[in-house]
Amino acid sequence: MPTHSDLLALLPELVLTLSAALLLLFEAFLPSLKRYASELSLLAIVGAAWARLTLPLPGASWNGMLQIDAVASFVDLYILAAMFLTIWMAGPFLRRNHAEHSEFYALLMLAAVGAMIMACSTDLLPLFLGLELLSIPLYVLNAFFRRVPVSLEAGLKYFIVGAFAAAFMAYGIALLYGATGTTDLVNMGRVLSAAGGISPWVAVGLSMVIGALAFKLAIFPFHGWAPDVYQGGPTPVTAFLSVVPKGAALVVLLRLAQGLDLLRLDSHWVWAAGIMAVASQTLGNIVAIVQRDIKRMLAYSGIAHMGYALVGVIVAGTDGSSAVLFYLAAYTFMNIGAFAVVALLSEGESEAHVISDLAGQGWKRPVLSLALTVCMFSLAGVPPFVGFAAKFLVFRAAVNQGLIWLAIFGVLNSLISAFYYLRVVYVLYMRPLPKREPAYPRSRTITAVAAVAALAVVVVGILPTPLLAAARSAAGMLVR
Amino acid sequence: MHVPHLLSIVTLGPIAAAAVLALIPERLARLHRWLALIVSVVLFAASCLIWVGFNPNLPGFQLDSGPIPWIPQFGISYHLGVDGISLLLVLLTTLLVPVVVLGSWRSVTEHVKGFHICLLLLTAGMLGAFLSLDMFLFYVFWELMLIPMYFIIGVWGGPRRIYAAVKFFIYTMVGSVLMLVAILYVAWYHHQLTGVWSFAYAAFLKTGPQLAMGTSFFGSPQMLVFAAFGLAFAIKVPMFPFHTWLPDAHVEAPTGGSIILAGVLLKLGTYGFLRFNRALLPQAWEAFAPLLMVLAVIGIIYGAWVALVQPDMKKLVAYSSVSHLGFVMLGLAAGTAASTQGAILQMVNHGLSTGALFLLVGVIYERRHTRMIADYGGIATVVPIFTGAFLLVTLSSIGLPGLNGFVGEFLILAGAWQQHPVAVILGALGIVFGAVYMLWMVQRVFWNPFSHEENRSLKDMNLREVLAVAPLLVFIVWIGVHPTTFLSPMEAAVRLLLGH
Repeated sequence: MPTHSDLLALLPELVLTLSAALLLLFEAFLPSLKRYASELSLLAIVGAAWARLTLPLPGASWNGMLQIDAVASFVDLYILAAMFLTIWMAGPFLRRNHAEHSEFYALLMLAAVGAMIMACSTDLLPLFLGLELLSIPLYVLNAFFRRVPVSLEAGLKYFIVGAFAAAFMAYGIALLYGATGTTDLVNMGRVLSAAGGISPWVAVGLSMVIGALAFKLAIFPFHGWAPDVYQGGPTPVTAFLSVVPKGAALVVLLRLAQGLDLLRLDSHWVWAAGIMAVASQTLGNIVAIVQRDIKRMLAYSGIAHMGYALVGVIVAGTDGSSAVLFYLAAYTFMNIGAFAVVALLSEGESEAHVISDLAGQGWKRPVLSLALTVCMFSLAGVPPFVGFAAKFLVFRAAVNQGLIWLAIFGVLNSLISAFYYLRVVYVLYMRPLPKREPAYPRSRTITAVAAVAALAVVVVGILPTPLLAAARSAAGMLVR
Repeated sequence: MHVPHLLSIVTLGPIAAAAVLALIPERLARLHRWLALIVSVVLFAASCLIWVGFNPNLPGFQLDSGPIPWIPQFGISYHLGVDGISLLLVLLTTLLVPVVVLGSWRSVTEHVKGFHICLLLLTAGMLGAFLSLDMFLFYVFWELMLIPMYFIIGVWGGPRRIYAAVKFFIYTMVGSVLMLVAILYVAWYHHQLTGVWSFAYAAFLKTGPQLAMGTSFFGSPQMLVFAAFGLAFAIKVPMFPFHTWLPDAHVEAPTGGSIILAGVLLKLGTYGFLRFNRALLPQAWEAFAPLLMVLAVIGIIYGAWVALVQPDMKKLVAYSSVSHLGFVMLGLAAGTAASTQGAILQMVNHGLSTGALFLLVGVIYERRHTRMIADYGGIATVVPIFTGAFLLVTLSSIGLPGLNGFVGEFLILAGAWQQHPVAVILGALGIVFGAVYMLWMVQRVFWNPFSHEENRSLKDMNLREVLAVAPLLVFIVWIGVHPTTFLSPMEAAVRLLLGH
């Protein structure tokens, strides 16, 4: 039986779940309340964030299956912030596309709950539950515009790949349980270190679990789904998809790497993961160069960025873990900012989001374009934006751990990435407006989302200390 | 007169001014121009205050602003300071900014607001890079220059501006990303040695020389760190064979962009060599000095030869920069006190004379919309003031005694003579070539028989243009006649840096 304190520990998740249920009921029984759905969800998110910030962090709860610690809190807040921005921009977006249904918000909140459960799991079973709770709403959300073929395609692709990943995960968990007799990461770490090495069964099981997470992260060689899903899904969903599942999966990877001490457990880990990281960066960046659709480009850019973040996971320890956590937060701001602009500077969801259609918008829509420019330079890792600070932390961690080759591949990849990020800026400011000016919609709300995200990119980039301090104290809990 | 945080005011002031400009509507173009002009003149006045408050007898950094903890977890702080070397470059930078504003008064007509915002941000980046006493801060300012310059070339440039802008951006970034790894490595090494995290320049100054030299290049941390820093700076200088971005960037950049690019940005490369490679990695410097010297001499001669055959005035001046910066590198590589002082002075000289040349080429381009030498001829009688100014700058550029160029080149060659006579002789040949291509251009443009009727109606320089070029001419003569004013502040700093 869950105790009183167990329930209290999950209060933010409960708030979101109940709000999601309420929204579904409204849709069915009180359709007049439908138009407040986005405001209600925003309120629920603020409530959940408030609960997470004010309630004490109990640490191990639910019989030690969940670890509600500083790491979980950091990730929860980051997920809530990402969801807040997503839902904020989703309101006008859905209205424009005549798809105002409360289910949209309810599903997003359920997915976020799944991600939050993943982030606090120290046991493989709730981890699996969280993964499924995260994935299933996203299958639906990707196919939300059911009359748009690309959206359906995105939903189907994400579903098939997601089903594979879930199967990988379940099979991996089974193997690990069979080999070590436990699903708890801490106990598993003890068993493994006592055994002094890993048996083939553990190796296969671990590889499958890590592979499943790599699917969610879209890390090479599990990245194939990302471009099509990004391109087809409704843009706010893409924004959500590009940051929240990745954040949750990265934190699980961190807990794995830290709990099982992969760095010291097996020397193959550094090489295998290092090659995955470098391959992700290189492939993502090189293929992104030839993309014409900005959403596809951002998909490949995301593949590359998870490659950088993986470097932090490999290094682990306080330096590496805090770098990963910081990277997540940084990546969220710049990515959501970019997608918010994409949501506005396009003629419709069924149209392609061609980069060259942004021609001349720089001088016509200054705020939006500046926001996109800031996000692009930040993604490229140019100071003083937050993307630079994030990469700096990751590469610093790698150098300090003696993994200089990872840092060198990382910086060279940043260089390659400058090509395609710069191209967006070039199209915005250095190409003339086309003769037939595209009729892009206007929305104060979405502009505000983009501006807030871009402002965060600048401010946190110049003053990273508070976020870094939070990330480091969270990482300290992880290392303990 | 003592102003607290004067260096911060000078460095961050332009950013604040850019923020103010951002709030003013685009259509008030005149207001943007005037505000930018006023800010840049005030900036120059403020850096003159630095000069006044500067004590030339102190070798180290002074007028410190900070250190203020910035990212205390890693020992990163905000810390500015000036010594005799950076003082001159700060003065040069702030002198050129109002020149750029005046020089772009008529030539930049579109997106006036954006241009001046970019210019001010660029100014902050340059000044910050010269004044930073923290390696992280330096890196941030170094990269900060990249974005505004990319825009200046890409938005307000010539027909092939996109190509040039991207090339500029990528080349510069190629160098700087590896420098970042090197900085991280030295910081890590500092932590290994002392147990303290720090990115302070002072800390690096202690740690850098202790990096192991090893026996092979790849086995030697100091050599590798040197190479990583050196690549960044060699591209920026640009040293042969990393110079290919420069002619493109110069030719396509608007007049103002070229002035800043040639006048200041290139100096950041040579400054970096001196401040970081020379001071932090002395043993690796010893090992690399011959290579640097060979590349410098190649640059001098190659730049001059290529300049000789250019039909386009702007391209000619661009290649002459490769040659002139070769002299600076020669002075640095020779490493004596005299040659180093000469090199630093030559950085300033080149900024003045090349800046003025680009400005003047821009002046005539605005009138005739061509920079081809062949489109002119015999215009001396039509535009006498212009001719006079151009001639003076040309003479400065080729090193006529009594003007600034002579002092710098003389010090470099005299300082290098004892150890490296061959390099000096080849370098002196470069001076001869320099005289040839510059004077030949002047002859074809101004003196040859009058050839094009449309040049008959050319207007001479107006007051604004005269005001733009005048400060440069004043300093050109001043340095030539009384170089001590400029040499004495850096003497102590150079001695300290060279370890005498």
